[in-house]
Amino acid sequence: MKLHELTIRETHELLSSRKISSEELTRDYLERIQRLDPQVKSYVTVSEDVALEQAQKADECLKSGEGLTPLTGIPYSAKDSISTRGVNTTCSSKILENYKPFYDATAIKKLNSANSVLLGKNNMDEFGMGSSTENSGFFTTRNPWNFDHVPGGSSGGSAATVAAGLAPFALGEDTGGSVRMPASFCGVTGLKTTYGRVSRYGLIPLVSSFDTIGPMARSAYDVALVLEAIAGHDPKDSTSRVESVQSYSESLKKTENLRGLRIGIPKEYFVEGLDKEVEASVRTAIKQIEGLGADVVEVSLPHTQYAIPVYYLILFAEASSNLAKYDGVRFGLSERTGDLMDVYLKTREAGFGAEAKRRIMLGTFALSAGYYDAYYLKAQKVRALIRQDFQKAFETCDALITPVAPTTAFRIGEKISNPLDMYLSDVFVVAVNLAGIPALSVPCGISNGLPIGMQIIGPHLSEETLLRIGYLYQSQTDWHTKHPPCW
Amino acid sequence: MSSEIRVDEKLVQEIASLARLDLTEDETRVFVSQFKDILDYVSILNEVDTENVSPAYLSSSSKNAPREDVIEVSVPTEEFLANAPESKDDYVLIPRVHIEQ
Repeated sequence: MKLHELTIRETHELLSSRKISSEELTRDYLERIQRLDPQVKSYVTVSEDVALEQAQKADECLKSGEGLTPLTGIPYSAKDSISTRGVNTTCSSKILENYKPFYDATAIKKLNSANSVLLGKNNMDEFGMGSSTENSGFFTTRNPWNFDHVPGGSSGGSAATVAAGLAPFALGEDTGGSVRMPASFCGVTGLKTTYGRVSRYGLIPLVSSFDTIGPMARSAYDVALVLEAIAGHDPKDSTSRVESVQSYSESLKKTENLRGLRIGIPKEYFVEGLDKEVEASVRTAIKQIEGLGADVVEVSLPHTQYAIPVYYLILFAEASSNLAKYDGVRFGLSERTGDLMDVYLKTREAGFGAEAKRRIMLGTFALSAGYYDAYYLKAQKVRALIRQDFQKAFETCDALITPVAPTTAFRIGEKISNPLDMYLSDVFVVAVNLAGIPALSVPCGISNGLPIGMQIIGPHLSEETLLRIGYLYQSQTDWHTKHPPCW
Repeated sequence: MSSEIRVDEKLVQEIASLARLDLTEDETRVFVSQFKDILDYVSILNEVDTENVSPAYLSSSSKNAPREDVIEVSVPTEEFLANAPESKDDYVLIPRVHIEQ
């Protein structure tokens, strides 16, 4: 078996028994990236020097056995919105093209102290605004399963990297489906964490009240290993959760069945517009989960149809505020011409892509005098109703299962000229961000050579339950072990 | 919501000026039509009765937990300034704010 085919768990066994070194493993991945990524285009930056330096450090740790963790010496990549000290962090925007953070995000810091190895930074839709990576300021990432199709977005580069065997795991970021949707389109396992479970310190914000960092990997077990390394309270993020972090992987080893668990199927997620093959695959997966001992019941989330307009109105408002800081003064692109006002105008015009401008404009409008109550305030009120829908469902259910997306990966170019059509591809994923709850995307089928994913949603801090369902499902099925042709 | 709002080039230009974006004429024209579509679409929220609903600004029920305000060593000035477009001594340099008439 080749090194890139191994899971984190299997790789760890080889590393800790010293059958391979982290440097060999890292060089193997760097060589694959050099060979395959010109086609997949999942990396914006490959941090070869940093990777080799970290791998040598990991090898010393593996040799002495001191401070050894399941992620020691394991390579990974990170979405380019997560700050990495001394390594370009661009958010796939021209406005940050040459920006080098002088500090690491807390999630990266934690992986550094586990002696993991940073291979590079993944392409994304500019600042996370998009569902396909077509809004990247640099280039479009291709779906490893079919290069004519999108990988999903906005963490499309991270999903494609894991799917193509260009990193064993990646850190993604989910604002409105940005981990789950690309995970589904690329056939990998991705977790949208509870809001606050992983520190946002050093994560360049899109929508501060939705943003979450989450792992993307090849199995629920590997996701659990990464989650327990990066989760936890951080004094530098006042919204991070203080509850202690469970040992997710240990509890997976002990789980045998799903007896006693009640799973709800929200009827509003199985409606017209849902592709027949996607529906059939998700329904088959639900049967298999029932076969593992879970009770399955139908539930209702009556405000589901309002999730997209609520999500986008809040996003426009928060994103336009968060993007105000890119003005050409302290860092990033700066068009030095005329007076200060000219610098603002020219820098922002040259640095932002069409989607970023559209959202800044819509947000500025929604927050402006006279319109605030009708748009932003109204959206926040309907958001409360959507949260209540979930709270009611979780009074009787431990988790909910839905499709991740209404279709498999669409073609590059298919939706880019119609922004509203693109927004609607997020229809099953955004409600989870409005409620701040966690959800796991798990591969559950393939249609016309493209992967299908199911979404397992739970109440706040239910990551252990979600991973347990995913892990047991994956012990009975092999969708997560299937690989694209370029593998 | 959107039914009463007249989305035209003038409105788009006003918003662009608030957002400090120097839009081209083409961009302005495209935005006018896309704004109409998007504002029409979100007006579906008018169907929802929110008379007695309080807004949910936060994503979780847990409260913010600010840290103690303790002075500590922060970023070295040199590293901070490495990202600045222009700097002089310990300062970020910016163009003139006012130009003499």
